[in-house]
Amino acid sequence: MDVLFKSAAVLISIFLLLFCNAIPSVAYSSSSTMHTNNWAVLVCTSRFWFNYRHMANTLSLYRTVKRLGIPDERIILMLADDMACNARNKYPAQVFNNENHRLNLYGDNVEVDYRGYEVTVENFMRVLTGRHETAVPRSKRLLSDEGSHILLYMTGHGGDEFLKFQDSEELQSHDLADAVKQMKEKRRFKELLIMVDTCQAATLFSQLQSPGVLAIGSSMKGENSYSHHLDSDVGVSVVDRFTFYTLAYFERLNMYDNASLSSLFNSYNPNLLMSTAYYRTDLYGRQLEEVPVTNFFGSVMETIHTDSPYRAFSGKYSKIEIPLDQSDEVKQRRLKSSDVPQELTGSNITDKHVTCPVTRTWNAILGRIGMMKELDSLVNYGLILMFLIATGSSWFSS
Amino acid sequence: MAEELNEEFTEGLLLRPLPDRRVLAHFHFQSSVPPTRTYGRHHHLFPKSIYQLINKFRVREMELSFTQGRWNYEHWGGYDPISSSNAKPPGVELWADFDVSLDQVDASWKNLTHALSGLFCASINFLEHSTSYSAPQWSFRSFAGKLRYGTLPREAVCTENLTPWLKLLPCRDKAGLSALMDRPSIYRGYYHSQRLHLTSDEFDTAKSNSGIMLEQTLTVVLQPNTLGDRAMVSGKTLQPSWSLSSLFGRKVHGKCSVSKSSNVYVQFEPNLVSELKEVWESVESESGILIHDAFWNNPIFEISASPDRVVKEVGNLQKEVSSILYEFLVEDYNDSKPFDLGLRWKLPVVWSCKQAPLHASRFLMGSGNERGAIAISLRSSSNNNTQRVGCSEKGSQLRIDIFQVVPWYVKVYYHTLKVFIDGELQSTMENIEKMHLSPSEDKVSPGVMEMKLRLPCSVKTAVLTLEFDKGFLHIDEYPPDANQGFDIPSAVVSFTGFQASIGFEDNFLNKLPILNELQERKHVISYTEVLLVPLTTPDFSMPYNVITITCTVFALYFGSLLNALRRRVGEEERLLKSKAAKKRGPLSSMLSKLSAKLKGSPLEPSPTPSTSPSFINYKLIVKVILVAGMAAGGQYYFR
Repeated sequence: MDVLFKSAAVLISIFLLLFCNAIPSVAYSSSSTMHTNNWAVLVCTSRFWFNYRHMANTLSLYRTVKRLGIPDERIILMLADDMACNARNKYPAQVFNNENHRLNLYGDNVEVDYRGYEVTVENFMRVLTGRHETAVPRSKRLLSDEGSHILLYMTGHGGDEFLKFQDSEELQSHDLADAVKQMKEKRRFKELLIMVDTCQAATLFSQLQSPGVLAIGSSMKGENSYSHHLDSDVGVSVVDRFTFYTLAYFERLNMYDNASLSSLFNSYNPNLLMSTAYYRTDLYGRQLEEVPVTNFFGSVMETIHTDSPYRAFSGKYSKIEIPLDQSDEVKQRRLKSSDVPQELTGSNITDKHVTCPVTRTWNAILGRIGMMKELDSLVNYGLILMFLIATGSSWFSS
Repeated sequence: MAEELNEEFTEGLLLRPLPDRRVLAHFHFQSSVPPTRTYGRHHHLFPKSIYQLINKFRVREMELSFTQGRWNYEHWGGYDPISSSNAKPPGVELWADFDVSLDQVDASWKNLTHALSGLFCASINFLEHSTSYSAPQWSFRSFAGKLRYGTLPREAVCTENLTPWLKLLPCRDKAGLSALMDRPSIYRGYYHSQRLHLTSDEFDTAKSNSGIMLEQTLTVVLQPNTLGDRAMVSGKTLQPSWSLSSLFGRKVHGKCSVSKSSNVYVQFEPNLVSELKEVWESVESESGILIHDAFWNNPIFEISASPDRVVKEVGNLQKEVSSILYEFLVEDYNDSKPFDLGLRWKLPVVWSCKQAPLHASRFLMGSGNERGAIAISLRSSSNNNTQRVGCSEKGSQLRIDIFQVVPWYVKVYYHTLKVFIDGELQSTMENIEKMHLSPSEDKVSPGVMEMKLRLPCSVKTAVLTLEFDKGFLHIDEYPPDANQGFDIPSAVVSFTGFQASIGFEDNFLNKLPILNELQERKHVISYTEVLLVPLTTPDFSMPYNVITITCTVFALYFGSLLNALRRRVGEEERLLKSKAAKKRGPLSSMLSKLSAKLKGSPLEPSPTPSTSPSFINYKLIVKVILVAGMAAGGQYYFR
């Protein structure tokens, strides 16, 4: 009798588990996962020399996120053309985003993952959704997980609900929304910040509907995004206004700063941008005042402490760490940002592998039952109940 | 044998003044590792990523080069080891020989291209399609069946390709000779080619394996900064003076500490050496100073550092003059005393480089967007001395291998092959010893031509022409900048029977890989130009325009047609009338009938505006009925 009941319970729990796995979007709750890593996808979609500024935009962002702590292997950089070693470039192997030429964006250690003809809508979608051919190397894949914060930056020429790639194809707002939805369902991100610097950038976000997505665009519908200034030595405009002021904001920050996203959003002055920056925050659950910009533009890494080297990983010791933990600022940041301590406490007690709440409660019930003393009487009551139900149902059916 | 059981790394740099006021810098790095069977899998110096590549894809030999610019065979030489092995076609060239069964070669190639594209930040993965690579049978290298060859002529080469290449070196670009590689200086040059050559006999079951050898070279042609000092001496311009710091903007602060040897060489070509001797003789004839071969301090030029050794070329019996190498050991220098080699010219010298037997070039003929012809021209170099090397006996012939890959959308008709020698049309088979053709297949494979030519020694010009039709691509297959035209990769022309190598007197020198590279006996090879073929490009907005216009026309036509067919004027009028009648409602018409009866006057339809009083009536009546009903209900209840 006892065995019978237990096996039934196991069967039911298995069923519930299957149920959980079958509809992940239902059971999945973003609050239960930790923010474990940061990724950045930086895309310059324009070809040809006169679009120098788009590449400079993207490389500026690349430099910024690298400076704020995202390592190269977690940055997917897509550049649609070669500007640095272009025959028209007076400064070979150098790209500047300011006419003072103080900062060479190309540096000595730039890692371009997709370039030239490879920057297509297809490859872009493949990177986002993770559907690659098997031969594609790891450095070209976005290997994010459900604890990832992803920064997606795109720049190029756009219009009402589309963004041009290489002057030959378009990414539509529906495509973007579908890709993001698919990413959400595949648990490829926890939070996603989409930053777009094109004309009518706001229209690109109109179809988004996945939770955890935050979007910033450089201009509203019907507005153009303008370049900031022309470098007469290089011969073309070198940076766009939106990106220029974004960079101006980030130049003041370092890895340990607590500046919030709202302060970034408020830093855009429509008169200087000559367009209205647009924010879409309705899909994003948290208060922007509480979220530091380093949540997307910086990086956290999970370090696992082990007692001895070369042991199997044990989840108990996993702890979130900010790189280069320098005592003061780190503590300050932990206290101020609301999410980190909450995640710290919430994570390590419960079993990490079972994320489905239904299974968790069921497991708890099972545990309680196991603790009970009068198992026999319970079983007897249960049998009587079953008998009653059976007789009742047969009586009704007849 | 015991000493060979270790990993080795060596670095070297060869500098050579070029006749057209430029300087050639050739970096050479070599890492080798003994076979896994005896040495194991843990390496100290050898890059792990390359080791994994070899083991995963079972590569026996591989060469990958990234090149920008075109090697100027006329001014920079076409008959020396550096031009034969380091002058590469623009863009990316990759060939690999695999140690797998024949049916797996293509799969291995595909995976290798993807792995390399990730490793070197380039779009090498475009070579995975069968339209972009070929399997040469015998002309390119003599590996039967398992060699694959592919080029991407338009691939950009920049910092992102050089950096991963440098990361394969144990000292990266932090120490040793590679510290000279300042990116803007290198990419400012006229020509730069980075090459990676791998040989491995890991999978040979035979006895004496030598393990894996990785050879990395960077060849740059730089213009020394001569602003201001374009000095003239007796009416002739001086060759520009240069130093390492003026060429690269950096100095060498000692050698890479793990490298076995770290040497810098300055090479003077045979023609330059003989020119120097002449000049010296004319200058010093009166003073009567003995002219010795190993001169390095003289009235013509000055080298800033004293060489540690002077190496002379030997074994070239035909010539009385031979090239000279000045060797400098970097290990004697350190941070406090950086190595900055300089060469300063005091007297003008003019010389020319040794040319390949024939100068190969390729061009397009014909006009229009439908058809054209490819011509490969072989022109005798101006000085005919070199030809005599291969043509020692009378009646012997020049043997030339040509290997050419043409993409499928340029449909070459191989039966139209014509050979002109000195301007006269020859019967084709007379001069062709051997030929292997594999015609292109649309969207499947490129056309490959391998040919062994036999030309008389006295030939001045030889021209091969092939006609072609231009094909059409599907609209999705055009690249974004299709209007720029399409590239046909370089053809490879190799002069078998001519070997470019510099022999050195000292056997001890064989240990140094950079000199080994010079000594290695290789065929003289030159690459022709990349051809730019303009194809007919569609108006890419045309489908959209056509669809819009067609739809508009159809909509107008069918809309008006349907309207005309379906419209019935009489019916519509009737319908309108009945609608007007209906508007009054059934109850009001009944009421008006009732009132008419009560009044005793005949029934007449009230005009439309008078519906409002009847409407009020209707409301009133409902109210009355409601009150009456309530009253009746109350009556019934209270009773």
